[in-house]
Amino acid sequence: MRLLGALGALSFAGQLLLSCGVAGAQSLSELQALAKKDGDSLARLDIEAFMKNVVPESKNYAVVVQLTALSPKYKCKPCVELDKTLRTVARGWNRHGDKDQIVFASMDVEDGEELFHKMKIEQIPRLMVFPAGAGPHALANASPREMSLKEETMTPEGMSAKLGSLLGVAIKPDIPVNYGKYLRMTLAVQAAGAGAYLAYKLVNLRMLGRNLWAIATIMFVLLMTSGFMWNKINDPPYMGQAKGGEVALFVPTNNQQFAVETQIVAVTYAVCALCIVILVRHAPKIQSADQRTFITLLFVAVLMLMFSYLNSVFRLKMPGYPFKLLLE
Amino acid sequence: MVKKVLGLTVADQASLLRIAILGLISLVAIGSRLYSVIRFESVIHEFDPWFNYRTTRYLVNNGFDKFWNWFDETAWYPLGRVVGGTLYPGIMVTSATIYNALHLLNIPVDIRNVCVFLAPAFSALTAIATYHLGKEVKNATAGLLAAAFMGVAPGYISRSVAGSYDNEGIAIFLLVFTFFLWLRSVRLGSALYGALTALSYFYMVSAWGGYVFIINLVPLHVFALLAMGRFSNRLYVAYSTFYVIGTLASMQIPFVGFQPTFTSEHMAALGVFGLIQLVAFASFARTLVPENHFRVLLRGAVVSLFVVGLSGLVLLTMSGVIAPWTGRFYSLWDTGYAKIHIPIIASVSEHQPTAWPNFFFDLNMLIWLLPAGIYFSFRELSDNHVFLILYSIFAAYFASVMVRLILTLTPIVCVLAGVAMSHVFETYLNFRDVPPSSPVKASAVSSAAPAADKAQRAADTVSDDVAVEDTDSASGHKKRGKGAKKSAAKAAEAATDTSADGAATPSTPAPNELSPGLKRFYTIFPKFVVMSCFMFLLCMFQWHCSWITSTAYSSPSVVLSSRGPDGSTFIIDDFREAYYWLRKNTKPDAKVLSWWDYGYQLAGMADRTTLVDNNTWNNTHIATVGKIMASDEDTAYELARRHDVDYVLVVFGAMLGYSGDDINKFLWMVRIAQGVYPDDIKEEAFYNQQGRYAISDDASPAMRNSLMHKLSYYRFAEVMGGRGTDKVRGQKLPTSVTLDNFEEAYTTENWMVRIYKVKDLDNLGRSHHAASKF
Repeated sequence: MRLLGALGALSFAGQLLLSCGVAGAQSLSELQALAKKDGDSLARLDIEAFMKNVVPESKNYAVVVQLTALSPKYKCKPCVELDKTLRTVARGWNRHGDKDQIVFASMDVEDGEELFHKMKIEQIPRLMVFPAGAGPHALANASPREMSLKEETMTPEGMSAKLGSLLGVAIKPDIPVNYGKYLRMTLAVQAAGAGAYLAYKLVNLRMLGRNLWAIATIMFVLLMTSGFMWNKINDPPYMGQAKGGEVALFVPTNNQQFAVETQIVAVTYAVCALCIVILVRHAPKIQSADQRTFITLLFVAVLMLMFSYLNSVFRLKMPGYPFKLLLE
Repeated sequence: MVKKVLGLTVADQASLLRIAILGLISLVAIGSRLYSVIRFESVIHEFDPWFNYRTTRYLVNNGFDKFWNWFDETAWYPLGRVVGGTLYPGIMVTSATIYNALHLLNIPVDIRNVCVFLAPAFSALTAIATYHLGKEVKNATAGLLAAAFMGVAPGYISRSVAGSYDNEGIAIFLLVFTFFLWLRSVRLGSALYGALTALSYFYMVSAWGGYVFIINLVPLHVFALLAMGRFSNRLYVAYSTFYVIGTLASMQIPFVGFQPTFTSEHMAALGVFGLIQLVAFASFARTLVPENHFRVLLRGAVVSLFVVGLSGLVLLTMSGVIAPWTGRFYSLWDTGYAKIHIPIIASVSEHQPTAWPNFFFDLNMLIWLLPAGIYFSFRELSDNHVFLILYSIFAAYFASVMVRLILTLTPIVCVLAGVAMSHVFETYLNFRDVPPSSPVKASAVSSAAPAADKAQRAADTVSDDVAVEDTDSASGHKKRGKGAKKSAAKAAEAATDTSADGAATPSTPAPNELSPGLKRFYTIFPKFVVMSCFMFLLCMFQWHCSWITSTAYSSPSVVLSSRGPDGSTFIIDDFREAYYWLRKNTKPDAKVLSWWDYGYQLAGMADRTTLVDNNTWNNTHIATVGKIMASDEDTAYELARRHDVDYVLVVFGAMLGYSGDDINKFLWMVRIAQGVYPDDIKEEAFYNQQGRYAISDDASPAMRNSLMHKLSYYRFAEVMGGRGTDKVRGQKLPTSVTLDNFEEAYTTENWMVRIYKVKDLDNLGRSHHAASKF
């Protein structure tokens, strides 16, 4: 959990003051100069700037700081997400809000590893708010606090609402318009249109149509019945790792799954259905008796094997399930 | 050809067999739903059924008029609830009718037993309706298989065990039956069947909110047929009859009212109704205008009308004339919607998306017979098959988004699985097609084979002959494969009989001469292997269904059971103990506050006034209750007194390890309260310093001071000797829990339900804290 109570934040700031003891006059203009260097007005801090301009409670402006590790070598995915969201909020504030009231800043582990170590910060990213302690925007309790990073506060709207209510202002995020997406969509629509037109002109739809529709329908139904939407909504990892370090394809619980499970299960279902179709439509039409017998038995065997596999996987997912087929 | 047995022709024998098999299927369907009654007792289950049961009792005791105008002042205190106008009365009226009919015949049945056994009884009807649906789309074999599947599929049993007296119990029967009538009315173009469809639809509307599925799927079917260029007068008659009568009838239900005229859920039906009138006019105009002119006219008209209609619909929706989709339906399309906007919908576990084991759990092998069934439907693609395909697409999507909608997927899976399985049976169960000994006969058979292709078996005697065989094999489903062996033996005897039916296997004379015995072996052996495999699969399906039903779906949840280490069963009956305590020991007008989950049970079993219940129509009121639970003792006392609360009831599982207790639901209460009172209740305050949801001494102050925490753990550590652990959460118990404004009134045997009395104001006007210190 990334949550840290208000108490934690308090002791954190206290430690900062005690351990560093820096108490020079804080300066808004220094922060703003740093912010100007950045395209989204997100001031990149080092230890000195942090100690001097952010920590003191007597300052007359508020600072919102992310403690993060953006360098690719740390492979911190939530850091990148937080950074992206914070930048939209910072841009929005810069455009619509009072730049002298709130400054958005970022503290990377590369610039302040020493500080991170000293403060025993083990979990990143974190989003800290250092409210103003003096001046017109001062808060009664100017001690720094941490904003919990939950699903709804990781969206630009959620974060600005939360920050706004914390600091008593209205913040409007500046969400970039995704032109690329629109362009891609237009192109895709055009391509689809052109494809449809060409298909209409060149291909005998009456012949092709039914099979195409059948394949599309069956694929859709297979995806749906093997948990595709669950993956889409819950976004699980593609596959997992077992205790020994080898790859685990299945979560051993009933209501969880890896993304790869959907693919495996959908393919297994498809093979089973295919066996039935071949057994009914194709096998009986084979002329030679030997071949017919062979094909029939082959596909029955495949069907039984596939279903046994499904069954064994289901036993794995549901301990205590008493029935088994060929496989354990 | 016609052999008479006991004076019955082959056709009569076949229909007799069919009836017998359907009867057996019905028996199995009812029987497998009775585990809960046998293990526990004839009791109403869960939560919503208690409301249905209570209203049914009211209907039986007070008559229909009073029921219709019932204003229930004991629910949602102090708001009350207009019961007659806010429920689907179908299930209550059904039970009351059955009850009255039985009493008319001097059969004195208790209304509770009528309610408990209603869902199993209707499941038998569902199986029969599924048989007719299967027969409508293929033949009797497919119908019987589909009925057998439907009778035992856990996806449907989950909602229809004895005691689960809920709308779905009768609604699935109505769903299947309406679809069957619809398909028949399209096939026959009969206004009579169209009207019957509408009546069945009306019954469905009166029974379940899921009727929206019908009123969207049927127009979609019509639209798809129109788009495929399959307009016919049959379709026109069927749909026009159905839509007009069905819509007018559905508006008679007060809860539905004028919705069919202005909500988005019903617009597709209206639009298609308009469209089919235009298409009908066009096809009439076609008889008057030259062909080539007409084509251009038609295409232009259809496209422009569709565009105009759709944009008009969008415009009207956006301007607010047509009500937008309600939250529940909207969350089906935009899957992230409920999570952000309607926590009360997202908080219900059955509204979560479905992982694949759930499908396998509920449908087992049917789930991979479904794609095969879709394939066979595409091979034939009559009007009926278009419907099956559309149904399977939409039901599959909905089921994958919401666990509970596996229920609507189950019928189509059963029907299509029945179709697929019947194809297998028809191909491999025909053991009579042994290559005949003389070449003359061989040529006769092979020339007859294409004519008697299995899809177009029209000749009565032949098809019935086949039906006998097939039904026999369907019953083998229960006879555990004995039937297959028997018919194999029979087939071997009758090998010389060269009836010209269903010869799917070509019988060409092999170039190198085989002995007749070897030839027969070549034909029979693979068939025998295939059939025994499938018989085994069917048996396994039945075992699976019984096991799932018995282990997963037969717990009443009002009464619980647990097993001791020596295998002995303990029945845990704390809920009823608490409710009966309330019923017997409190004033009849006492107000009991609890979380909404227990509202219906309180009203049904304790017969006391509740503040909120499972009809979650008023979010603010629920949030107020959440706020009372989440506030500190003094605030809660103040609020509780303002709402005239006499008793507070909490469910507490730490003693037994019952994980569905209020402390585990508490975060949802906090979230819902926070949605309405963001200034007073904050979710973060309920996590401790480490950001965990703790209950013991390291819990956050807000958590430790909250009413819910105090009521749950009051005196619990004392009883456990001070060192016990919370069995649900695996944490240490909080040591000092004080309670001044509430006093413990009753705690059940296993501490699962705790009831507290809200203290009266102090006689001397002191606060209760001061009084207790004194």
